[in-house]
Amino acid sequence: MTGGRPDWMHPAFRLIEGEAAFGWPELAALPVPLGGVVAADRPSRVLATLAAAERAGRGLLLARGAADPAGWDTPDGFSVTLESSGTTGVPKRIRHDLDRLRGRLRGSGEGGARWLLTYEPGAFAGLQVMLTAAAAGALLVAMPSGGGVGGVADLARAAQRHAVTHVSGTPSFWRAFLMALGPAELPLAAVTLGGEAADQPLLDRLAERFPRARLRHIYASTEAGALFAVTDGRAGFPAAWLADAPDGVALRIADGVLEVRSPRAAPGAADPDGWLSTGDLVERVGDRILFAGRLDGLVNVGGVKVSPEVVERRLLAVAGVADAAVLAVASPITGHLLTATVVPAPGIEEAALRAALRAATADLPPAARPRALTLADRIPLSAAGKKSRKGTV
Amino acid sequence: MTMTDAMLALIAEELGRIAADKGEVLPPLTADSVFLGGDLPIDSLDLATLLVVLEQRTGQDPFRAGFRQFTTVGELAALYTVAA
Repeated sequence: MTGGRPDWMHPAFRLIEGEAAFGWPELAALPVPLGGVVAADRPSRVLATLAAAERAGRGLLLARGAADPAGWDTPDGFSVTLESSGTTGVPKRIRHDLDRLRGRLRGSGEGGARWLLTYEPGAFAGLQVMLTAAAAGALLVAMPSGGGVGGVADLARAAQRHAVTHVSGTPSFWRAFLMALGPAELPLAAVTLGGEAADQPLLDRLAERFPRARLRHIYASTEAGALFAVTDGRAGFPAAWLADAPDGVALRIADGVLEVRSPRAAPGAADPDGWLSTGDLVERVGDRILFAGRLDGLVNVGGVKVSPEVVERRLLAVAGVADAAVLAVASPITGHLLTATVVPAPGIEEAALRAALRAATADLPPAARPRALTLADRIPLSAAGKKSRKGTV
Repeated sequence: MTMTDAMLALIAEELGRIAADKGEVLPPLTADSVFLGGDLPIDSLDLATLLVVLEQRTGQDPFRAGFRQFTTVGELAALYTVAA
């Protein structure tokens, strides 16, 4: 049956999913699974099920992978439960009401925009892009397999074919996307980065490649919600925000870790004074606060605590590096060891690149230098579009 | 060449590369060379690196199920079952 169009979907909204095109009538005609659990593999399915669950006033679980109803009691009343991409293998289920999901949307009022969906439709970030495009009556361009970064070449082709104007993705996605896109023209008006710390070399490349686009990186976390967007093209955020942060947020640094107070924090996540640890290590460099890896991302290499992310950022800043990943692998000798995979830019000579990479980490303690440096064509990414931080640990 | 000889050659090749990256020259290796006994210009990080590289080259991780004791090049070579 065809129900009424939900109020969060503008009548002009269109979805292109591979070769298929959908407006609200086509979405409303899709079969909707019973039981409130849906495999969130296609944006069309997610949007159709979302509308049906809202109409029926019942809870919905957007499953990554198989739609397994085991351990799922459908909540009364409409809500959306997402499965986190948990690095531990067991997905964490987090329930949201639609108002909270939508309450985080900002800057969505651009009709005529053409969005590219780079995130999985069942991921928090993917759902936000879909709801943003739906509310604005924009065109949403997606691939049937969802985002996922195995399909970056497909996404790059779709982006060109439909001349997308708005793209939001992780820094890891953007590096791969730039490589897949090559010199092709793209009429981008908005370039957004989120999900991982944005590094300066990537921001510089994006600003140069898409000079007319609004460039911003977003800082958010599951518990704290969307915290702030940085729009000046520089990595990190202004140190002045420690005294006066935008959007009702307060920021402070405790033992090198960023703490926040936010009106958008999940209930119960903060301490009685409203402060919440983000688990992100930060350091002050001049007028800037820069991200320096995750507190829980530190690994012990021969008794020395090292941050794979900090080392990775060093490698990403080396000329001739298109992408890089630093992983901690288990070692029977030193507990862990950092290894590096580097994607060279076209035409770069290997010996010179290896020497430059060694030089870029020569001042770090030996335990923090990446070992077993491998050159590769691409960096494998997790389903969430992020680098899998730990290797065979 | 026996399988262990092939493994010795692979260890010598990769350890030589690791030493060269530090600007060191590795003396000729024998099956009796002790890794961390002071005769070789390598430290525990270099040895850890060697094991990662050997896993990449051979596809084997003899330490997956837990630590296995070795002190010499020959003892390490014997932990790998297939010649590279």
